[in-house]
Amino acid sequence: MTFRLTCPVCGKRDVYEFTYGGPERGPRPAEADPASGSQAAGGSDPAAGSDPAAAAEAHFRWAQFRMNRPEPQEEWWHHGAGCGVWFSTWRDPATNREAPPGGAEAGGHEASGRDSS
Amino acid sequence: MSRLPPSSTERIDRSRPLGFRWCGRALEGFEGDTVASALWGAGVRTFGRSFEYHRPRGLHDLEGEGSSQLVSIDGVPNQSAGTTPLREGMDVGAQNVRGDPRFDVFGLLDRLDRFMPAGFYYRLFHRPAWAARFFQERMRGLAGLGVLRPDVPDRGERAERYLNADVAVVGGGPAGMSAALEAGRLGLRVCLFERRPWLGGHLDWRVRDSRPLAGEVSALADELERMESMRVFRHAPVTGIWGENLLTGFQYRGAGGPTDGWTGSGTAEAFDETHWECRARAVVVATGSIERPLVFEHNDRPGVMQVDTAIRLARTYGVRPGTAAAFSVGDDLGLEAAVDLASLGVDVRMVADARHEGHDEALVAALVEAGIDFRPGWAATRVRGRSRVRRVELADRTTTGAGSGATVGSAGGGAGDSLRVACDLLVASAGRQPDIGVLSCAGARFRHGQRTRTFELERLPPDVFAAGGVLRLTDVEALTTSGRTAGLEAAAACGADVAEALARERARLADLPGPARGSSIVRGPVAGRRLAPGRKAFLDFDEDGTWKNAAQSAAYAFDVPELAKRFGNFGLGPGQYRVPGQNLAMAMAEIAGRPIGSFAATTVRPPVIPPSLATLAGPNHDIHKRTPLHDDQASRGAVFRRAGPWLRARYFSADRQCLEEIRNVRENVGLLDSSPLGKFRIWGPDALRALQRVYISDMTRARPGRCTYSAMCNDTGNIIDDGVVVRTGEDEFYFTTSSNRAGTTVEWLRFHTRYDGWDYNLVNLTDALASINVAGPNARRVLEKITDAELSDEAFPYLGCREIEVGDGVAARCLRLGFVGELSYELHLRASHARYVWDLLWEAGAEYGIRPFGLEAQNCLRAEKGHVIIGTESEQRVTLLDIGMGWLWDREDTASGKVGAAALRYCEGQSGRLKLVGLRVDDPAGDAGAGTARDPTHRPEDGALVVDGDRIAGFVCTTRHSETLGWQYGLALVEDRLAERGRSLDLYESLGRRTVRWTATVVPPHFHDPKGQRLRIAPEGRPRRPGKAPSPPAPAAHRRSPVRFDAAPARTERRAGWNVVLDYESDRAPADVMRRASLVDLSHRARWDVQNRDIGTLRPFGLDVPGTPGKVAVRDGLMINRMNGTQASVWHVGPGAAPAMPDGPHYTDTTDSHCWLALLGDSVPEVLESVTGLDLFDPARARPFLTQGPVLHVPCQIVTWRGDAVLLAFSRGYGQTFVEALLESGRHAGLRPAGERVFTDWSHALKS
Ligand SMILES: [Zn+2]
Repeated sequence: MTFRLTCPVCGKRDVYEFTYGGPERGPRPAEADPASGSQAAGGSDPAAGSDPAAAAEAHFRWAQFRMNRPEPQEEWWHHGAGCGVWFSTWRDPATNREAPPGGAEAGGHEASGRDSS
Repeated sequence: MSRLPPSSTERIDRSRPLGFRWCGRALEGFEGDTVASALWGAGVRTFGRSFEYHRPRGLHDLEGEGSSQLVSIDGVPNQSAGTTPLREGMDVGAQNVRGDPRFDVFGLLDRLDRFMPAGFYYRLFHRPAWAARFFQERMRGLAGLGVLRPDVPDRGERAERYLNADVAVVGGGPAGMSAALEAGRLGLRVCLFERRPWLGGHLDWRVRDSRPLAGEVSALADELERMESMRVFRHAPVTGIWGENLLTGFQYRGAGGPTDGWTGSGTAEAFDETHWECRARAVVVATGSIERPLVFEHNDRPGVMQVDTAIRLARTYGVRPGTAAAFSVGDDLGLEAAVDLASLGVDVRMVADARHEGHDEALVAALVEAGIDFRPGWAATRVRGRSRVRRVELADRTTTGAGSGATVGSAGGGAGDSLRVACDLLVASAGRQPDIGVLSCAGARFRHGQRTRTFELERLPPDVFAAGGVLRLTDVEALTTSGRTAGLEAAAACGADVAEALARERARLADLPGPARGSSIVRGPVAGRRLAPGRKAFLDFDEDGTWKNAAQSAAYAFDVPELAKRFGNFGLGPGQYRVPGQNLAMAMAEIAGRPIGSFAATTVRPPVIPPSLATLAGPNHDIHKRTPLHDDQASRGAVFRRAGPWLRARYFSADRQCLEEIRNVRENVGLLDSSPLGKFRIWGPDALRALQRVYISDMTRARPGRCTYSAMCNDTGNIIDDGVVVRTGEDEFYFTTSSNRAGTTVEWLRFHTRYDGWDYNLVNLTDALASINVAGPNARRVLEKITDAELSDEAFPYLGCREIEVGDGVAARCLRLGFVGELSYELHLRASHARYVWDLLWEAGAEYGIRPFGLEAQNCLRAEKGHVIIGTESEQRVTLLDIGMGWLWDREDTASGKVGAAALRYCEGQSGRLKLVGLRVDDPAGDAGAGTARDPTHRPEDGALVVDGDRIAGFVCTTRHSETLGWQYGLALVEDRLAERGRSLDLYESLGRRTVRWTATVVPPHFHDPKGQRLRIAPEGRPRRPGKAPSPPAPAAHRRSPVRFDAAPARTERRAGWNVVLDYESDRAPADVMRRASLVDLSHRARWDVQNRDIGTLRPFGLDVPGTPGKVAVRDGLMINRMNGTQASVWHVGPGAAPAMPDGPHYTDTTDSHCWLALLGDSVPEVLESVTGLDLFDPARARPFLTQGPVLHVPCQIVTWRGDAVLLAFSRGYGQTFVEALLESGRHAGLRPAGERVFTDWSHALKS
């Protein structure tokens, strides 16, 4: 198995030059403030507030959950063997090809040549 | 004799006979023969015995399609006789036989086939349990192919090539050549791969109306050879196409085979092979067609062969395939072959064609004219003759199996619906099938065509195009036109504007004859009752898979091809899809009583054509990092071990306990080369915020002149790294990481700040700075002899960090740390200065008996101290808190978003976690300890299990016997309920089949100097002289390159401390130097890193930084390479002295970070093609340009200055092993080391 990724600096390169940073999942949720302690202080956003249970839950969803859907997803890649840049790109894990969001049909074409039937 | 009179199509040189041996017999062939054609020409009919039934097998095909033609050559098994060129003196042997292949003693297995039904291997011999092993061993002895002999060393030279092309063409027949030419005429870079040693495809041997067809395409081949942008690789099979048009394959370079495409090494061993990979923007597959075997009883007898095999034996090799022949074919090429063979004097007695209609009338007329009995709608039903063909039975397909059958003798004639023909050659084929192997690997889909009755291309992957015989075209003009069409389609995929030409070719193709119509026959008519139908009718010759086996598979409900393939072992042998593939799909349909196109052909997997494993393994360079002190340590008896990318000294004596090394550090003074330690410079307005993010402690505490110890965690709270941070300026820090993490630290920081948009810069100085650890009670006494810096406890306390000068004014950053638990100084200094300072320390320490110590001694010393090594005393289940380092965590800080803090908070109160404890190992208990004298070196292995009752409750991380303590101590991770002090633990260790039980007691994990007094206050050593003596003047400092060439310097120059070699004795004459390739070490020349968010506004050395990454500017003797959005490198390429580094935080001197090389000469592209797949010579890019990517798997900055000049820089540690591998890989292109003068002459010439 091999595929290529488009580094924004270096262009298309072999996947072996990159390391994977996982799917895009947004910044790390804010930590609960241990000093405040009470649930009420959390406000409307449970993840950003100080409810320790909710904060822990938000953190685990963020750190551990991966959906693994066979459709294009935004991913982080690091061009370690090249320019050293982190970038995000859309890729379809079902075909291993870079693909736009929403799952446009993977390339490919009808065989040319004579119709034989 | 078996040779025919010479003909114009043959490719043997009859004036050059070659002697060889076959199973001990001396035989003769000719230059140009393959092993197979030479054997058949010498009258050999049985080449070997089959895999399972030990049936005699002869020459069925010439393409290396199956195991039948595998032989051993010079002791190397499983060589393809059909494709290996004959060589003088070859020793060829038959496989899977005892004795002569004609009289194999296991031949009787053929009679026992009823006991070996499909899948018997999986279904039988399983009860009782011992039977499986018993029968497996017995059967392995009988079944199989060649025997791998450990005493026969691997032969041949294995090379690698990485090619970049716009268009790659697979197949050098009329269609492939036309496609390549069309793309090449547009100026595109084209690579054409042909598996045979010559171009032309099947036209090379075809003769129609006494006219060789090769002439029709010879002009194409000539034009190809002359074309500038074209590279033609002959004898170079394609093994697969992988994601986005990466082609892989190999090229035979052995004697008799051509070496074109690239320069051969000239050793010309028969086993020389090159593995190649070609990255193409578009691919044209023109693999043509292959034959589908006709299945009938005993269709594997020596003397039954494919149409192409018979005609190529005659036309290519001048070998008479047989004296009297019968044909059972399924297409017009079969008829053409019969006409042609008859014209060459072979007695063709009958031609059966499975088709009832649709024959080429001209060929039928030619057959009739030649007096050959032609029977449309007939096919072979069985062969008679035990070890070779003696008689063939043929029958009318429409009235199967009825007949008594007349015998056709040499006179011919006869009537009825079945016939017997006496002959020694049966040319049999069910017809043609497209050679779908390569296309199938690329992801193309096929369906069975009603009209062509073969598998037709349905859908192609992106940027892959097909042409010629693979589309079942046969008309020569149609083949070339479809090739041109595909060539233009490929060019269009590369962005060429060819719409008009493409429309014209497509219109032309529409008017030409379309795909040939084949036959859907799989099996000949079944006649007679003596033999169970299909019992000896083989679908797969490789593993003796018969029609009957296929039917049995279906009966066991493995009734579709992909299941039957696995259950009955069809197409799993060397022939893979080629012989059984499409037949199996058709056979399974017929067995199931379904329409013949119901099933798709089974998936083809690479390698389509198998290369040898040694070729896949390649040159296998051992590329690793070495410290600047490697050579000296080696000379002091160091035993090196790999640690990550580095080779590090583990022991300095045969004593694996390192007792002397340890004692010397505890009581005196030792030297450790700790250069692989990660070292980094970080600066910028947000540098502190970045450190706060990744370090678990409060990094605002980091102060100048003081080491702040901390650790990094990951998002699940596991400790992943530790080190010290020193503040070196307002917004600037210096920090260290464990050597394992050095390679990923920059990546880690950037990843965890990727959403924040912070402004900070980071330079990895791991390779640039060596690290020497002077440790032991006498460390200060040694160090003060080489520096004037104040080292007293007051002036330079424990955890202090000082910028000092050592020796002849060499700058060093000195850190007073205590990983080994003694007074210890770590000197971080330029890698090029490391050897100079190391030598000074040796001299200074001589009076104390200074000794080196290695990683194992360090491991024991730190474990005695209770210091953890991450990965040894930690693992995935273990957090910072679990190993007792929670004190590092700044738990008040929730604003920095510290990586791992949330997880630490969550699991802080959890019970049942593993905890790090100290162990005191008691005497071995149970059987191992009873009554035996205690051996202090006998201790529980690292990794021994901690068992609580019947549960595993932890494991031992490290145990050692301590001379210092006098007992065995250790560190272990155990469940928290076992972690209380004084608790007794049971340890179990497996020694082969024996289990040893130990007991140990939990103790605090600080064994040696628990209060750390030895670190803080230097104890009295063993002073030899009172007070500090005035230091003698230090010798002049010198700097060393990471590279040492194996060549004698002729002229050298002292330059800023470096010893620069201007010329080597071996340097070529100036007039000659650019003809091949030279490697020049430029590591002594100055280089700088420039880094800033607004790099465009900087003007380093008064130069403009190129606007886009990849761009390179050269001015005033400096080359400035834009690396990415925030970074550029500046290299001193000019004559004279390098300028001084500008002031300001943006600049870092990286002269010592890299090994820097220049490659000069006309064959530089050829050298680089052997070591990297990067496209360094893309004609579309303006030179000079920068490429950042792997060469020999080492990340490099590469500047393509011109076609004959390339500069490359990479991590200094790789220097020596990289250069050695590069010189080895480039030898074929004449690569040699050279002095700096070659570079200065070249760059001077550039200017004038
Ligand atoms: Zn990149």
